[in-house]
Amino acid sequence: MKPFSHGNATSIEEALEALSGMSWPLAGGTDLLALMKEEVAAPERLVNLKTILGLDAIAERQSGNENEWHIGALTTLSALSQTPAFADHLGLRCLVQAAQESASPQLRHMATLGGNLVQRPRCWYFRNRHVPCWRKGGRRCFAFKGENKYHTILGGGPCYAVHPSDPAVALLALNASLLIAGAQGRRVVSLEDFYVMPRPDRQREDGYHPVTILEPNEILTAIVVPEPQANSRSVYVKRTERGAWDFALVSAAASLRLEDDVVKEARIALGGVAAIPWRANAVEEVLIGQPLSPELIEHAAGAAVAEAKPLEHNAYKVDLIKGALRQALQI
Amino acid sequence: MPTIRKTQVEFEGRIEEREVIVEEEHIESWGHDVEMRWVGKPTPRVDGIARVTGKAVYTHDIQLPGMLIGRFLRSPFPHARITRIDSSAAEALPGVSLVWHKGKQPAVRSLDGRAIFVDEVNYEGAEVAFVAARDERVAEDALALIEVDYEPLPFASDFHTATAADAPSVVLGEDNWIDREGDLYERGSVEAGLTDADVVVELEFTTPVAAHCCLETHGSAVAWEGDLVTVWHSTQSIFGTRSSVAEALEIPMDRVRVISDYIGGGFGSKWGAEAFTLMAALAARETGRPVKVVLNREEEHLVAGYRPGTYQRVRLGAKQDGTLTLIEQEADVTTGAFGGGGHVVGGPAKDLYLCPNVRTRVRAARANTDGARAFRAPGYVEGTVALEGAMDALAHKLRMDPLALRLANYAEKSPSRGQSYSYKGLRRAYEMGAERFGWSDRTASAQSDEGPWRRGVGMASQIWGGGGGPPANAIVKLLPDGTAEVAVGVQDIGTGTKTVLTQVAAEELGLPLSAVRCVVGDTLPAPFGPGSGGSVTLASSTPAVRSACREALRQLIELAAIMLGLEEAPAGDFTVEEGEIVYGPDPEKRIPFNQVTAKMGNYMIVAKGARGPNPEDRAVNTFGAHYVQVAVNVETGQVRVERLVAAHDIGRVVNPLTAESQVFGGVVMALGYGTTEERVIDPDTGLQLTPNLEEYKVPVMVDIPEIEVVFVDVPDVEANSVGSKGLGEPPIIPAAAAIANAVFDAVGVRVTDLPITPKRLLAALRQAATESKEGTR
Amino acid sequence: MAISFRGPGPIPIDLNVNGEERTVFIEPRRTLLSVLREELGLTGAKHGCGRGQCGACTVIIDGETAYACLTLAVDCEGRSIRTIESVSHGEQLHPVQEAFIEHDGYQCGFCTPGQVVAAVSLLEHNPSPTEAEVREAMAGNVCRCGAYPNIVTAVLDAARQGTGRDPGVSGATVASGEEG
Ligand SMILES: Cc1cc2nc3c(=O)[nH]c(=O)nc-3n(C[C@H](O)[C@H](O)[C@H](O)COP(=O)(O)OP(=O)(O)OC[C@H]3O[C@@H](n4cnc5c(N)ncnc54)[C@H](O)[C@@H]3O)c2cc1C
Repeated sequence: MKPFSHGNATSIEEALEALSGMSWPLAGGTDLLALMKEEVAAPERLVNLKTILGLDAIAERQSGNENEWHIGALTTLSALSQTPAFADHLGLRCLVQAAQESASPQLRHMATLGGNLVQRPRCWYFRNRHVPCWRKGGRRCFAFKGENKYHTILGGGPCYAVHPSDPAVALLALNASLLIAGAQGRRVVSLEDFYVMPRPDRQREDGYHPVTILEPNEILTAIVVPEPQANSRSVYVKRTERGAWDFALVSAAASLRLEDDVVKEARIALGGVAAIPWRANAVEEVLIGQPLSPELIEHAAGAAVAEAKPLEHNAYKVDLIKGALRQALQI
Repeated sequence: MPTIRKTQVEFEGRIEEREVIVEEEHIESWGHDVEMRWVGKPTPRVDGIARVTGKAVYTHDIQLPGMLIGRFLRSPFPHARITRIDSSAAEALPGVSLVWHKGKQPAVRSLDGRAIFVDEVNYEGAEVAFVAARDERVAEDALALIEVDYEPLPFASDFHTATAADAPSVVLGEDNWIDREGDLYERGSVEAGLTDADVVVELEFTTPVAAHCCLETHGSAVAWEGDLVTVWHSTQSIFGTRSSVAEALEIPMDRVRVISDYIGGGFGSKWGAEAFTLMAALAARETGRPVKVVLNREEEHLVAGYRPGTYQRVRLGAKQDGTLTLIEQEADVTTGAFGGGGHVVGGPAKDLYLCPNVRTRVRAARANTDGARAFRAPGYVEGTVALEGAMDALAHKLRMDPLALRLANYAEKSPSRGQSYSYKGLRRAYEMGAERFGWSDRTASAQSDEGPWRRGVGMASQIWGGGGGPPANAIVKLLPDGTAEVAVGVQDIGTGTKTVLTQVAAEELGLPLSAVRCVVGDTLPAPFGPGSGGSVTLASSTPAVRSACREALRQLIELAAIMLGLEEAPAGDFTVEEGEIVYGPDPEKRIPFNQVTAKMGNYMIVAKGARGPNPEDRAVNTFGAHYVQVAVNVETGQVRVERLVAAHDIGRVVNPLTAESQVFGGVVMALGYGTTEERVIDPDTGLQLTPNLEEYKVPVMVDIPEIEVVFVDVPDVEANSVGSKGLGEPPIIPAAAAIANAVFDAVGVRVTDLPITPKRLLAALRQAATESKEGTR
Repeated sequence: MAISFRGPGPIPIDLNVNGEERTVFIEPRRTLLSVLREELGLTGAKHGCGRGQCGACTVIIDGETAYACLTLAVDCEGRSIRTIESVSHGEQLHPVQEAFIEHDGYQCGFCTPGQVVAAVSLLEHNPSPTEAEVREAMAGNVCRCGAYPNIVTAVLDAARQGTGRDPGVSGATVASGEEG
């Protein structure tokens, strides 16, 4: 790891003032420190956000007629999954499941939800300091014609690394939005708009092509999840090679509201299949207004992969994601 | 008296005639019905407290005053020529003690006949420069300041690329083939085997490159005191390290002391001096300060060896009744740029079954990776995957119980050597395992499918050596307080060696366990002991301990006789009972051990013992059979191993507690090998994509099935005086094959490409579905 | 107020380790693991991977397990750190340690300090876990020797001995662990 200096922020304003392209926010450090050790990232200063009081709070708030949950960005994954209000909440269950199935117990104690949403791809080319891949500012994606069994089947390139976060997939299904604070003020962005497909025009100064719209001098302060309507339920299904401590091969989050077995509302998000957590609009269209029958589920699973374009080594993900989605819809 | 003599030595699956030092010392083996106080009893480890409190000192933990830290700059290319290297900025960095590379060579330039810092680098991770500095940070900062220009050269990462017609040279000027004709074994003939066969099966298998992943990465710390060099080295062979350090430094062996008190895993990858050991030693000599070099996790994957990958073809022929007429196995092995690994893939095919016609051929080629190394039952694991997979396919084709097929071809004598076994308990292991597993009711479990989960069962068996042999010595001291110290030049790599040596000594001396202290892992106090490989440690060293203990008792009895006023009585009249020396003809005449030793003042009884020779004309082997139940999810491609019964014949079980641990360990490792672990090299850049414990997936707690262990536990009284054989390697051999066979049983599709990941399983299911559709059309 | 940045050179840092206040003079880039091992002589926590992928460096920070290899020492100011060295008191072992010895919950022993710390912390939070809970809670610690079955047995056995409530043993105070 390159040397850097370190400062503890005591307020959001303080942190914002200090942030820049070479001065990065530090939360749990589980991703950032690993990137720095790999020399894939080399900030000169770290701004510790953990010292800002209250950024790890979870609260229910009223917004118009609706209730919503504000989850402070510094909430750890373990705190999130142990929040009593979430634990038995059928509508929010997918978030708890996603958090619980992330990483390992120790990492969940350390990792924050904010950091989890901002973490960088785990792609084995991206994380290899010797490989000048497109995402790091190089000319091409090495996975596209290389070893791509963990890579995308939806959405195309020019970077084929999947987004690694489990909670992001659940939050997408829950229609979450993010509170972002910047020097220019605060903004609220839906999670869906927060992630951006790889685009050449979004390159950072250090060459990195970001996965999110977050600017270097902004911080994520909270994740806002609308209280699901009555009769909603949600499920997160994750497929891995190993029983635990493994990133998703694929995952599916489904948030459904049923009335008399007819799907009234549906938000479906898929993980491990695209460069960003993937909203499966086509699946939602198939589901809404229909009775949730085995045939419908089959049809929906087909719709999820209608556009899939697997690479040389990842066609199995097509079967996998269909199965994951089927399971998510059945529960 | 020691003599030199030719004897059969079996190591890691190879049998050789070698000249070894043998001390003719025949001790009657403990028989079947000897009442034992310590041996055979579950015994917690004697060094348990150090292990659970964090006080155990591993090589990583060595910290000496003024110690420097060494690090290597390594090649980021699989093959390249270094055209320029400039280390001036690194040398100028405060805290840097020295920098070495091809332009600034250390005093000794080569190890094992190969130069270290050279123009041509042949694998990712090859040493390019070495830095010794005040601490790790400074060393790493210094590495970043070294400028190197590389001219990348074409490379080959795999057997097929390396042996293709227009293949690039892996090492310039060297043939990519290490063994083009192949290591050939033949008895009978393939033609005869085919002619005699009613049925023939032929299958192809691919096995992955597997990384040892010792949790304690490789490393050495070195300190000089005058001309004496002390080397802390995380090793499976302190004496092997001693000789290789002495040879590399061109100093006498007795000037080298090697210490390896606690070793954080080896599995075949940790032997003698390595480049880091040599650099540490040279840098320590040059700077006058201790130097420690420890690999990081990435380096561990890049330069600390692996089990090589194989491509195999197996053909079996059999009569309708299952009698084998042919075993033919061909394996192509990808090793490293400079070979290595010991790939006796054909071993099981030669010896597991009675079969008149056997042909095995193993070819090896180089690739641009670091050298392969022995990895827990090298070759046998790979070979068994294919052989036992093919046996399963044959059983299926014959509509025969896979166990019955194996029993039908049971070899009472060693098929390749024609010798009788000292003891072979495989039949017992088959039976005991089958009974525990409920093999005869196995169809019941297969009917318990749930949703997308399909259940299946499978089995596989195993042969391995592990008989050990001379030379191995032990020294026993009887101390004035009546306790004993046993010093043996072996090391405890986590197998529980220290504990079993203590048990055997306590047994022989008639002392409580707590009165015996065992010293291993240090070449200074201990006489020679073998390296911990080939599962030989226990079978080689415990008989030496027995013999030393007997000699010590003999001396003690002489003193006791004097003290009892029985100088004239023949030594044979005395026995040792519960810490007392008793005169047989008149049992009233007895004296406690510590009364004798107390009389000795500063004098102590020192006795040496040796491992006697192996029996003439006997094959000494270990055997086992594994039975496994899996659940396979046809939607997710997951393979969940639910239950595994491991039955092993290793002669006498000295410590059932640690023996069971060995079996757990082997099974868990095989589980990873069979289902999740796989090194991946990028074909385009030749770089390893899995040099960490995230992409290289070893099993974790939630993956572990219910594992039940049964031992035949019949002393092999012909093998050695303790009646025990080794167990380090046997349990890893059959498990992956058994799992793959169970997967076939569950889904009717044979996955012959390991590990069986969701990707492979789903692909196989998909292919089978397409084929059956085509078939019905 | 602007943040006052410290470093990149060595700075004084106060740490509370195993109930003792320790001051070290280190660069901000130092991980807690390197400080424990190199500055404080606490070599029980091991460096297995440096990336949060093996668990050999597991320690307890403010009552929760964490990987010391992915934790900056500077970030630990004002927090309480407990390492394997605090689990036993002189000759008196923690019941988890006793159980590891009795059930052979280790082989090479390199991962053992991390396993023991993870198990101790588990029992502090959940004194009578089910087998499934033990497996889940211990899933962040690799044992390459494969001692897993015995580790599960040991942890369950230690739980049966009622470790979570034994006030005489260090680390047995439940949950917050503030007093270190
Ligand atoms: C071995 C391993 C296995 C893992 N397995 C999984 C898994 O299965 N599923 C999964 O989802 N994740 C997994 N992870 C990823 C882990 O969840 C993330 O590393 C973690 O959530 C990141 O959170 P953090 O607080 O540690 O972030 P940090 O490492 O501190 O930060 C990550 C990035 O986010 C930025 N950042 C952090 N907080 C903010 C903020 N509030 N505002 C703006 N920017 C911010 C940082 O500057 C940095 O760029 C795994 C990680 C490891 C090491």
